[in-house]
Amino acid sequence: MLVYTALPMIWMLLTSIKSGFAAMQFPPQWWPSEPTLASYQKLLDPQNSVGQDFLRFFWNSLFVSVCTTIMAVVVAVPAAYAFSRFSFPGRKFLFFAVLLRNMFPAVIFLVPLFILMRVLGLVNTHGSLILTYLTFGLPLAIWLLKGFYDNIPVQLEQAARIDGATRFQAFLLIVMPLSAPGIIATAIYSFIGAWNEYIYAATFLTRNDQLTLPVGIQRFFSENTTDFPGLMAASFMMSVPVVVLFLVLQKYFVRALTEGAVKH
Amino acid sequence: MTTQIGFASAPAQARIVRPSVLQQIWSSRADYLYVLPAIIVMLIVIAYPIYYTIDLSFFETPPGLQLRDKNFVGLENYATILSSNVFWRVTLNTVIWTFASTLIAFVLGYAAALALHRDFAGRAVLRAILIIPWVISAVAASYIWKWMYHSDFGILGAVMVQMGLVDQQPNFIDNVHTVLPSLIVVNIWREFPFAMIMIMAGLQTVPEQLLRAAKVDGASTWQRFWHVTFPYLSGVSTVTILLLAVANFNSFIIPWIMTGGGPSNASHIWITHIYELAFGRQRWGVASAYSVLLFIILMALGYFYVRALSGNEKKEHGA
Repeated sequence: MLVYTALPMIWMLLTSIKSGFAAMQFPPQWWPSEPTLASYQKLLDPQNSVGQDFLRFFWNSLFVSVCTTIMAVVVAVPAAYAFSRFSFPGRKFLFFAVLLRNMFPAVIFLVPLFILMRVLGLVNTHGSLILTYLTFGLPLAIWLLKGFYDNIPVQLEQAARIDGATRFQAFLLIVMPLSAPGIIATAIYSFIGAWNEYIYAATFLTRNDQLTLPVGIQRFFSENTTDFPGLMAASFMMSVPVVVLFLVLQKYFVRALTEGAVKH
Repeated sequence: MTTQIGFASAPAQARIVRPSVLQQIWSSRADYLYVLPAIIVMLIVIAYPIYYTIDLSFFETPPGLQLRDKNFVGLENYATILSSNVFWRVTLNTVIWTFASTLIAFVLGYAAALALHRDFAGRAVLRAILIIPWVISAVAASYIWKWMYHSDFGILGAVMVQMGLVDQQPNFIDNVHTVLPSLIVVNIWREFPFAMIMIMAGLQTVPEQLLRAAKVDGASTWQRFWHVTFPYLSGVSTVTILLLAVANFNSFIIPWIMTGGGPSNASHIWITHIYELAFGRQRWGVASAYSVLLFIILMALGYFYVRALSGNEKKEHGA
């Protein structure tokens, strides 16, 4: 299983440090005879057109992902808290409606959202992506956070309210700090989801300078498909931010993901 | 659920005379403020698209999304779908894709979770490595595997040739018979870590005493697994399988980037087919009708999902 998992990633790395010529040999060179970082240099060099494009796609992805993450957390925190603590009519229905969104594929929403974005004048802007990414980011964020709030004892807030805090103050000063791990996990999840999203970005953005990485890489390499070392280097660079983020914060991430599904 | 009701719920006297729904809504109006932003976002980007898709599925539309010129055609789009050969081909592909991916990813993930549950040196590192395919982008994964499957320079074919399994480099994804299994291999590679994470979390809740007691009673490792661990994990297993099934049914990136549904529709699944109908052939009405059918199927799956989730919750609070 380790071979199955690791081989593709190792092969990506090994190919990325080959020259274009070395990659096109049969039988393949297992170990690159003359390892070179040329592909990476090309991608990261703002002086040439490849590097310019790649770096721009990278920043676009970063911008969209960070904005999506902030919005998802800001909107989901109070909503998840309400779903966990309050008992307003329709609470159950609304929560399951939120959950159900996770079942629907992006494609179903593609045409209507495209038209909606056209009406709102957001086609070809990053705003269209940020707003759209909330459709799958929010339900997940609400679900993850509710799991966390459910596990924070209500008594803590009650104590604060006896001491004179309003409900909102109790939420802000007692519950928020305690749910920090949940908020971190939610943020990572939103970020990774937005970073990796492909289909909306491919549909809503047409101007080259606005593309995000997954789409940019595709457009870029459909023109010169023979540069496999370059493609592998780009794939690697695209994976670095999410893998680093994940490895550093995986403790929170895994806990949050399984909180809702596993009984305690 | 009931145990989670907030401390600010209805006052004591309200329990004697049950307030009307409107009164309840009015008295908890402050609560709605917390969920209002979420509801507004969801209404704009979810409820409206669903309504719009249903509406559009009854119309014939000209190419180019000039939707003012659409024609009402009743159920014709649905009839078109059900009478086409491609529909049945794509449906069969979707069934194979969903079942095979879900089942194998689940079993592999389960096995990996059991293996990782024991304590050994390097466990944390191994776990992190196994999860990475699930974290990286599906677009990157598609390119990596496309390169490994390459019919001239792909490493997988080269290994098979060198081991003497085949005479020449196989065309993994350019061949009608091997394309779907080849894509399923990629999909499982990406998804089994998810099953692994879920089952690992579940394993932590299996009470040690129960396993020790079984051991004292002379149960073998297999018996302990089959009679204690496995039933104990039935809840999380159901949820995991459902989530995997939905994710697989809805997959898009791997088949689309790797093959675009080809060759001759051999790797088209519902989602990629809908996308092609809409954005490739600009048949918005037919694509919408497909989406509505999809919607109905997913609602059925959703019913089981919600039931599995609330089943878990009942167990949780009834204990």
